[in-house]
Amino acid sequence: MAINLLKDKGTPLQRQRMSWKDMVGKPISKLDDDAFTRVRIILMNGLELDSLRTKQVAIRCQDGTARPMLAELMRVEQHQATTINWLIGPDHSPIETTIGYEQTAIEVTASVAQLEPDPYLAQGYRYALLEDFDHLYRYSALLDRLEGKDANNITQGYTDIVPARATLFHHRAPEHDLLEPYGPDAELATKLHALTLTGGEYQTHDYYMNIGPVFADPLARQLYAEIASVESQHITHYGSMLNPNESPLEKLVLGEVCEVWNYAACLEQEGNPRVKALWEQFLDYELGHLQAALRLFEETERRDAAELLRDGRLPPFIQFSSQREFVRQVVESETQLRKRGTEFVDESQEGRSSLDYRKAVNAGGSPSETVAATWSWTPGTELMREPVGA
Amino acid sequence: MQATLPGLNRTGATASAEGTQAMTDAVNELMPPVPIDTGAAEAERLQYIQDSEAVGSIPPPIGLDGKAKAALGRLKGGAPGLLMDKVGERIAFERTGVRLYEALLAKYGATAQRAGEVLPPAEKVHEVAHAQGMAVLAPVLGESPAETLQRLRSEELEHFRLLCTAMQELGGDPTAQTPCADVAGTASMGLMQVLTDPRTTLAQCLNAMLSAELTDNAGWELLIQLAEQNGQSELAGRFLGALAQEQEHLVTIRGWLATLLTEGAGTPAV
Repeated sequence: MAINLLKDKGTPLQRQRMSWKDMVGKPISKLDDDAFTRVRIILMNGLELDSLRTKQVAIRCQDGTARPMLAELMRVEQHQATTINWLIGPDHSPIETTIGYEQTAIEVTASVAQLEPDPYLAQGYRYALLEDFDHLYRYSALLDRLEGKDANNITQGYTDIVPARATLFHHRAPEHDLLEPYGPDAELATKLHALTLTGGEYQTHDYYMNIGPVFADPLARQLYAEIASVESQHITHYGSMLNPNESPLEKLVLGEVCEVWNYAACLEQEGNPRVKALWEQFLDYELGHLQAALRLFEETERRDAAELLRDGRLPPFIQFSSQREFVRQVVESETQLRKRGTEFVDESQEGRSSLDYRKAVNAGGSPSETVAATWSWTPGTELMREPVGA
Repeated sequence: MQATLPGLNRTGATASAEGTQAMTDAVNELMPPVPIDTGAAEAERLQYIQDSEAVGSIPPPIGLDGKAKAALGRLKGGAPGLLMDKVGERIAFERTGVRLYEALLAKYGATAQRAGEVLPPAEKVHEVAHAQGMAVLAPVLGESPAETLQRLRSEELEHFRLLCTAMQELGGDPTAQTPCADVAGTASMGLMQVLTDPRTTLAQCLNAMLSAELTDNAGWELLIQLAEQNGQSELAGRFLGALAQEQEHLVTIRGWLATLLTEGAGTPAV
């Protein structure tokens, strides 16, 4: 089944209705479902919410005929996001869900980094990959030492849990978070990669901002404050890849294409039949959204869809599988990289203002260092290697 | 760190008498109360319960060596999976228990720094228990409360490792999260929140720990029963040793809490 963006019409918008019962179905099993089913759920929830967010911003900048269409699209995105996000079962503790979020960031970013045709942007993906990889290590330490749980119950052996570029070095002065955006002639793949990661990181940030204050433990509160700040940097990092000269309606079309592309990948690779059926349903919904967006784009801007979508074929899909070997290579070769403006440089060349900023935010200590001091992942938790009777 | 004292608690109806009266008037005027009927909500929940799948499955026995095969072979009663599920639950509980005791140690240490020694030695609270006819393991004589807390933590760790060995002997994976381990983990989340909240007093933490130890004791008793039913008498014997220690934990924690509540009102520990 090869989707063609110019030909496949999907489900008409007026037939895209769900009841509360449709939205609140059976969650996945934390124990039995494959970790990559959870990864896909986390990713697609993030993309739906980013689609919703982008349209809300668009409505603040649009008048006329676009507004009712945007409102209609947003309603469906809202209910899609609910349906997807509610698949996460309530037996996931907040930190366990967090582990799922970081695994999603790592594996998706690693796959995208290998798919990305633009070498500069590929470097951008590898750069942030190492930071999310380190976050997984810090949160895993917290899960072990606070709740007495093993993060591998969530990651299922797919993702290594070791430090990379230490989180304390992720804190950069704001101007050093920016990247050079892709140009107007960028490949469709490049645009979709950037949109995907921007949406994913945005939701990760929002999730940490919501649950950080729910913890009683002061170290947990500090760690979430610290890493949420880095995730907000990552939103800037990826978001600045997007071409600011794209028109709002062009961005609308690309947003819908991004959702189509990701749902198609999820559908192709999903192992849980119930969730697979959902990906198929929502793929058809997004094709319907794309039709609405294309009509608006063509009528309002008098531009041809083929200008954006070329021959309508989708780029190669994200691979929802362990990217262990690639991640290890990047850890071994690029941990020492830093940012200076929009350039990637050796740590000795890092932008000076970042050093000052880092000193200020770490002035009371580094939560990520404190939480994980001397911690190593061990099957069954650190307590498996503590001498008994000590 | 502060004592829990009378003050400006705003939550009760009497704390905002006028506002609460206005609310009552609004209800009576705009939506007079009718007979309580939560039938629709119950029916909805019933439907979800009936339609739901299990939390998850019990991991199958892993590549059994001769010893594990023999152990599995001796399991009778058709419920070897259930025994492994409940061993998994105890593993999770003991592991979390170690972390809870670490949090309790931190709270005790901070309290002692501020207010000096606030807990009697464990042997003192056990005297009271013995006088009431409770037969439990005697605590270690001459042990300070700090040393007792450390020992309780260490014993939870020993229990954890004992259970991991037991799981392996049964042919199971001690690192797996069994369904009952998962559910127990969810149930314990509130305890973790109380123990790690910097604002909670030592007494409030001991209260939470009391819940943990009561559950722990009941859990061990049931596990021993289940092991016996499954023909695992040797294992049940090892578990009995752990239960005896847990009974001592329970008496100690309860005794300390009782002491603080009867003697410590108005102090930073309460």
